[in-house]
Amino acid sequence: MNITWHADDTLLAQYLRGDAGPLRGASLEQHLTHCAHCRARIATHVETPPLELVWSRIREQAQAPAPTRVERLLTRFGASEPDALLVAVAPSLRASWLFGLAVTLGFVGFSATYGGSRGLAFFLLVAPLVPVAGVAFAYGPDVDPSYEVAVVVPYSAVRLLLLRTAAVLVTCLPLVLAAAQLVPALSWGAVSLLLPALAFTAVMLAASTWTRPSYAGFGLGIVWACAVGAAAVGQNPAGVLAPGLLFVYAAIGVAAALVLRLRIANLTLLWRLS
Amino acid sequence: MTAGTTVALTAITKRYRGTTALDAVDLSFRPGITGLLGPNGAGKTTLLRIAATVLASDAGGVRLLGREPGTPEALVAIRRRLGYLPQEMGFPRAFTGFGFVDYMAVLKEWTARGPRHDEVRRVLDLVDLGDVATKRVRALSGGQRRRLALAQALLGSPDLLLLDEPTTGVDPEQRVSLRQVLSRAGERSTVLLSTHQTEDVAALCDRVVVLDQGRVRFDGAVLDLVATAAGRVWLADGPDPLARASWRTGTGRHRNVGEVAPAGAEPTEPTLEDAYLLLLGDRAMPTVVAA
Repeated sequence: MNITWHADDTLLAQYLRGDAGPLRGASLEQHLTHCAHCRARIATHVETPPLELVWSRIREQAQAPAPTRVERLLTRFGASEPDALLVAVAPSLRASWLFGLAVTLGFVGFSATYGGSRGLAFFLLVAPLVPVAGVAFAYGPDVDPSYEVAVVVPYSAVRLLLLRTAAVLVTCLPLVLAAAQLVPALSWGAVSLLLPALAFTAVMLAASTWTRPSYAGFGLGIVWACAVGAAAVGQNPAGVLAPGLLFVYAAIGVAAALVLRLRIANLTLLWRLS
Repeated sequence: MTAGTTVALTAITKRYRGTTALDAVDLSFRPGITGLLGPNGAGKTTLLRIAATVLASDAGGVRLLGREPGTPEALVAIRRRLGYLPQEMGFPRAFTGFGFVDYMAVLKEWTARGPRHDEVRRVLDLVDLGDVATKRVRALSGGQRRRLALAQALLGSPDLLLLDEPTTGVDPEQRVSLRQVLSRAGERSTVLLSTHQTEDVAALCDRVVVLDQGRVRFDGAVLDLVATAAGRVWLADGPDPLARASWRTGTGRHRNVGEVAPAGAEPTEPTLEDAYLLLLGDRAMPTVVAA
C-alpha cells in the first residue's frame, strides 16, 4: 500500500488523549496499522507506560467511591467536586438527617395545627432552631470524629464553615417553610419564620468565633426556649413573631453578621483544641 | 534557630487544670527521625500536638518550618507542609478507606481529581492498604485503621511528620514495612515519632528524647542512651531483688537491670529498653512491661 500522508504531532497527541474525534480517530487507527513511521512516532508521545496507565484507570474505576446523592445534587447546582465532597461529609447534610428533620417538622407542624396553643408553641420553639442545629452538626470537634487531623489542614476553616452553613440553609429552610404551611395560625407568619431562623444562624456563626458551634447552638436554644415559653405562658405563643419583633430579629441578624465579618479570621485560631 | 532547624520549641509550658504537661521544655529538631519516649503522662502527646498546631502552648516560643504559628496566615503556611497522626483517631461514618484519604486530600488542597486520586493510591500503597481501599473503614481491623490514619499523614510527602504511636496495633510484618516507609520519609523530612515501642526507636531513630513529668530527661543519640546502661545489665540464674527490673527470659535465665551485679551473674549487652528502664526507674515500669 502506498502511504501518502503521515500524522502530525498534534493529531497523535489528540488521539492518545482520546480527543481526536470518532472520524479522525478511526482514520488514524487505520493508518497506524500500515504506517511503521507513525507507529514509531506515536510511541514517543506515550509518557506513561501503557500497562501502568491501564492499571491506573482500572484502579480508579474500582477504588474511587461514587459520589453520594448529596454530592451529585450539589454538583448539579454548580458546586465543584471537591466542595461537594467536603459539604456532603457533614452529619447534618446526610440523607438520614434530612429525613429525620422532615419527620420532626411534619410532627410539630401537625401538633401546631391540632394541639392548640401548646402545639403552636412547640412548633415555634423548634422551627427557627432547625438551621441552628444543622450548622451545629455540620462542623467542629463535637461532630467530627477525625477533627484532630481535619483541623490541621491548610483548607480554610472559614470557607468550610460557610459552605456547610449555606448548604444547611438551602436544605432545611424549604422544609421549615413547608411545615409552616401546615399551621393555619401562621397567616403571613410562615415567611416571617425565616427572619429569626436566619438571625439565629448569624448569631451562632458570630458566637462560633468565641466558642464551639455546638456550645453556641445550645446557648441559643436555651434563650429561644425561654422566649417561646414566656409567650406561651401569656397565651400568645405567636407573639414571638409579632411584627415589631421581626425588626428586632433583623437587627440582631445584621449585627451578628457584622460581628462575624470582623472576627471571622479568629475561626482558624479558635478551633485549635484546648 | 540554627540553619536546618525545622522545629524550635523554647521554654514551652502547657498545663491542664493544674497538671503541668510540659514544663519549660527546650527542644529543636532537624530533618531526620527523632523518637520520643516516656511513660504515660510524660508530655509526649502534648508536645506533638503543639508541634502539629493542634494546641497552643501556655508559655514559650514555637517556631515551625521557619514560622511562628500565631496568625491564620502562618498557620496555613505551616499546615501545608505538615502531616500529623494523632494518638487516637476516629473516622467519619460510611467512608471507605479510599474515600477517607480522598476527603483528607481535599482538605489538604489537592483539588484536581486525577492527581489527587493518584496521590491517594500512592499513600495507600505505601501503607499496604491498596487491596482493601474499597472496604468501609468500620470493616477494617484495628491495625488497618491505624495504617489508614498514617496514610493521610503521608499525603503530599510533608516536610514535618508528627506521628503519635503509629505502630500501635500493627502486626510485626506490617511494622517492619512501616519502618521502611518512615525511614524513607526521614531522609528528607523532620519526623517526630512518639512511641512506647523502644525497638521502633532503636530501629529507626538517630536521636531519642526521653520525657518524664513534662521535662526532658535525655536528649541525644540512641547509641549514647544505650551506652548509659553498659555494665548494668546481667544474666543470672535467678532474679535479683535489688535490680531495677528483673524478668525470666525465654532461655530460662533472668535478665537483671540494675546498679549491682547479682552473685554469679554475667554481664550482657544492654538494649535501649534497659537504658530507658535505668533512666526512669520505677516510673518506666508500667510502660515497658505493658509493651
